[in-house]
Amino acid sequence: MSRRSEPLTQAWVDGDAYRYRPQGGVFPLMRRVFSYARPHRRILFWLISHVVLRAILLPLGAWSMGAVVNGPIASGDSVGMVWATAGFTLLIVFTNWMFRYRYRLALGLGEAVIHDLRSEVFRHILSMPMSYFTRSKVGAILGRVTSDIDSVRTGVQDVVFVSAVQLGQMLVAGALMLYHDWVLFVVVLGIAPGIWLLNRIFTVRIAEAQRRATESFSRISATLSESVSGVRVTQGFVREELNALQFRELVSDQARYNLVSARTSAVFLPLLEFKTHVFTALLLAVGGWQVLRTGGGTALGDVVQFAFLATLFFEPVRNVGTQYAAALSAMVGAERVFRLLDTVPEWRDPPEAVDLPREEAGIRVEFKNVWFAYEVGNPVLRGVSFSASPGMMIALVGHTGSGKTSITNLISKFYLASSGGVLLDGREVRELRSDSLRRQMGVVHQQSFLFEGSVLENIRFGRPEASDVEVEQVVERLGFRDLVESLPEGFQTLVGESGARLSSGERQLVNFARALLVRPRLLILDEATSAVDSRTEMRIQSALRKLLRDRTSFVVAHRLSTIRNADLILVLHEGEIVERGTHETLMSLGGRYAALHRKFTRC
Amino acid sequence: MVLKERPSSLKQISRSRTVRRLFGLVWNYRWGCLLLLAMQMALLGLNLFGVAMLGVGIDELRHAVDPAAPEPRWPMGWTPMGIALPMHRIAVISLALLAVALLRLWLGYASGVWFGQLLQGRLVVDLRDRCYDKLQRLNFRFFDSNTSSSLINRIGGDIQAVRLFVDGVLFQVVILVVSVGLFLAYMLSVHVGLTLACLSTMPLVWAVSALFSKAVKPAYKESSELYDSLVERLAESIRGMHVIKAFAREAAEFHRFQHANQRLRDAQNSIFAKLSGFVPLIVLLSQANVVVLLLYGGTLAMRGEIGIGTGLVGFASILGQFSGQISGVGNIANSMQQCLRSAERVFEILDEPVQIHSPDHPRAFGRLGGEVRFEKVSFSYGAERVLEEVDFEVKKGECVVITGPTGSGKSTLLSLIPRFYDPGAGRVLVDGMDIQTLDLAALRRSVGCVFQESFLFSTSVAANIAFGHPEASDAQVEKAARLASAHAFIQQLPEGYRTVLGEAGVGLSGGQKQRLSIARALLLEPAILLLDDPTASLDAETEELIVDALRGAMRERTTFIVSQRPSLLRLATQILVLDRGRLVQRGTHRELAGREGYYRNLVEVQEGGVWDGEERPDEGGLR
Repeated sequence: MSRRSEPLTQAWVDGDAYRYRPQGGVFPLMRRVFSYARPHRRILFWLISHVVLRAILLPLGAWSMGAVVNGPIASGDSVGMVWATAGFTLLIVFTNWMFRYRYRLALGLGEAVIHDLRSEVFRHILSMPMSYFTRSKVGAILGRVTSDIDSVRTGVQDVVFVSAVQLGQMLVAGALMLYHDWVLFVVVLGIAPGIWLLNRIFTVRIAEAQRRATESFSRISATLSESVSGVRVTQGFVREELNALQFRELVSDQARYNLVSARTSAVFLPLLEFKTHVFTALLLAVGGWQVLRTGGGTALGDVVQFAFLATLFFEPVRNVGTQYAAALSAMVGAERVFRLLDTVPEWRDPPEAVDLPREEAGIRVEFKNVWFAYEVGNPVLRGVSFSASPGMMIALVGHTGSGKTSITNLISKFYLASSGGVLLDGREVRELRSDSLRRQMGVVHQQSFLFEGSVLENIRFGRPEASDVEVEQVVERLGFRDLVESLPEGFQTLVGESGARLSSGERQLVNFARALLVRPRLLILDEATSAVDSRTEMRIQSALRKLLRDRTSFVVAHRLSTIRNADLILVLHEGEIVERGTHETLMSLGGRYAALHRKFTRC
Repeated sequence: MVLKERPSSLKQISRSRTVRRLFGLVWNYRWGCLLLLAMQMALLGLNLFGVAMLGVGIDELRHAVDPAAPEPRWPMGWTPMGIALPMHRIAVISLALLAVALLRLWLGYASGVWFGQLLQGRLVVDLRDRCYDKLQRLNFRFFDSNTSSSLINRIGGDIQAVRLFVDGVLFQVVILVVSVGLFLAYMLSVHVGLTLACLSTMPLVWAVSALFSKAVKPAYKESSELYDSLVERLAESIRGMHVIKAFAREAAEFHRFQHANQRLRDAQNSIFAKLSGFVPLIVLLSQANVVVLLLYGGTLAMRGEIGIGTGLVGFASILGQFSGQISGVGNIANSMQQCLRSAERVFEILDEPVQIHSPDHPRAFGRLGGEVRFEKVSFSYGAERVLEEVDFEVKKGECVVITGPTGSGKSTLLSLIPRFYDPGAGRVLVDGMDIQTLDLAALRRSVGCVFQESFLFSTSVAANIAFGHPEASDAQVEKAARLASAHAFIQQLPEGYRTVLGEAGVGLSGGQKQRLSIARALLLEPAILLLDDPTASLDAETEELIVDALRGAMRERTTFIVSQRPSLLRLATQILVLDRGRLVQRGTHRELAGREGYYRNLVEVQEGGVWDGEERPDEGGLR
């Protein structure tokens, strides 16, 4: 079942599929795909039985049709004809009755396999550390779960079992033909390799042409995407004509590749039909010669039989190409999915990790000579040490890239330090279970993500079991009850995709409420109010003063006004703490902080 | 654009209009299409001829073996009377078959190539060009209300689906009608009674097929909705992964996914149950005519009324093709559905009116001075009033900073100057001329824009700076870069001005990007420079660099800056404060800071510790 609308020429089919050879060979890959069928081995067993049965029944039907024509009809036996036809009827009824099961079982098996695969992939994705998500594109991960897994489904549902039926049907039809007339069968056999060869040559060529077309289409897509995102610039700088010219070149380029592909198909498909017609001509000539030479009716009957059976013999040969392409794209899909499943997370919580005990007071945080790098050889933190006692408010100051956010990432164990110690309540984070420590923290970013759903659901995200009263209390204490209630449907207002229906200020309020509802012992505010207008910012700040009292908090902010009351200000420069102290001490120090502050407030 | 479900009657009307427009589109390529159709029909005729000749051959052989068997009937009453020897007759037939095969081979090739040229080479290319050209000219509102992926899909996949109207719908219908007609004619010429008897099962096949598609349609719809929502959830989970992890909600998310996954599987299985009930039944019914053929046709053959070859074998082969054609009807209907949906989306772009036009007879102007006047300018997006009667005047060379809360209309005000939108009422004048009377391209070239997100294209640094004037010399590019304080860091890049940016190339920091986009605007040496919150996402130190860059850039031009940042407010010779679309305060920093109002609040927040709300700033003050 294809869910995407695929154009006839299949120009957008993954072109790479055709040049592809799986690493480690086809069979290990197939074995791995079918290992997912193992939990469903009863289905698999019945399916195989039905495949064998069908491979026999199909040629038998064609043969018995010929037999009725050659036997009773040719000899003028009316009663015999009625009986023989009755037999034929029974046969086709039985064949189709059995087809029900073959069909149902294959579809069900495919669906079962991809259901399991999808779950496994998602579970695996969830277990990856944050660094994985900053590196990978959403589209690529989605592609694994959608189109790649879909092509695996097609592979399981169609390719394997249809090919098996076709192969069997070819063998049985061949045996029947051989039984009737070996000379004619030799003619048939002589043609088959020709078809096979044609297939091989042309599927490769067509695939190559389509790959080029696909590549050039991805250039079109990339250009389009840039043009759409940059349309303001284009119009502002009056570049419409030039862009249209460049786009036209790209489109014509793609059309050229499509044409090559169309031309190759235009040779291939008629050639296949040509073979069939040549066969008919040969059948008539060779068969006719035999009939006239022997003057026998048996030979004539053989010609009729061959006219029926040859179709069944050639059909699979013809279909090899399509099946081959589908099989390849299934394998490409499977390999990509498995590659994702085989990606080993850079780190996991060790099995002996323990929970961070929940206490009343805020979390005590210590950094002991912490070094950290996102990429090897490019450290963003160089020997950072500090300690924050429970309830302290720590402000992190410094320009972009100085390491402020990295410190918060290490505290919430999104990343692990390269060396040195990060201690929470005196325990090394590596020895703590990630989820236990994150449950005791609240994080608010500059543009925090909201999920589709209502305001209420979003606030409850971290603690779905919280009662309505608790949610209202949190909002009340933040001092924004009036704002939530002025929304069209209050707490039930839907936030839209990524919260797009709320203003940035409203979104941020939901984020604060969401973070506070989990009763965090530690709060991280990373530029939490920089996307909010000054009025809202003022309200948030006065509320926070009360809310931060019993928690440890880390505040990253550009606007220095936000952090004047911090218990400890850490001024970072290129991954090192260059100054530390309170606002007053740092101002009197007259260093970096004081300079920054002056620059910021001078008007 | 959020498309709401329209009432069905309206939908019908719009559907039929879409179909009419599709026909109109095809009409442009009518001769090519006709040629293609003619070739397809010739192919069909040759196919039928081949089937008939095989039948004749078998009958000839039978007649030769058993003279009692009926005289073979050659198609169209033509008989090779002159050829007496049966072997020779067979040879003639075989040769005829070969000739037909060769002809088909050539025709098949020619029509395949022609098909590619006509549809892929012309129709698709033309449509893509038209859509792209249109897209570039639409106003920004359109892009705000359409996601970029939907627009890309329209030019990619949807246009291919529009092409499907030609090869998947129009041609298939004609071929279906013609081939059914040809097959019928052949069968009727052989034996009328047998033809009718064999076709009598067809209505039943039809009825069951119709029942089938009706039965599975809702199930398909349900399952594809489930699938879509599964994918959406998944996409959301990945994008919000940091939140999921921060709140340790992995297990709950997995549970939710698992639930959706299971529901999808159940929906699929219920489709499979229906499919495996119906499909074999339809196959069986379509084979029922073979039983009729064997019984009735067999009797006729025994009576010598029809030949075994032309009659039985020929009929069997044609009946097979016949049911193939009939089952193709479903595909045509599917293609039609798919193509209509896509066509609507494509036409939506083509029909979207371009709202901003250059006047027919623009007023000539040389280099603009840069004096700007807004006269009672109002603007609204649909029902939403964005600007109301904004009135102000800016002298040449001034620097105006526009400030105010989010959504107060600051960016909209800026975008009226290069005519990205036209005001609903009032006039915008530059150097005393109404901008609507000026040539649009010339006006925009005199206005340099720096947008909030500094969008750069994935080409070289130099090409990005010269974006508005690709013929600019290296010296001009460098001059612009120096003015924007970008020259120093550009030289540090791996390949200097030739460094390629973007996904495949080098990444720049926010401040660097912003300086490049300032250089891009300066290259045009604009009389008016617009900057929409250029430091919104930059830290204080980088902001300082931008401010320095601006000091140089502003010289000798009129500059408009949207910002809330004190460092930028400092540059202003005039400050405009907007609130809900109205110009509420206007004046210099000194004037405004002395008055109660938004501006004073803003300055206080930016400067001083209002951390506790109640305290007044002790030292910040206004200097």
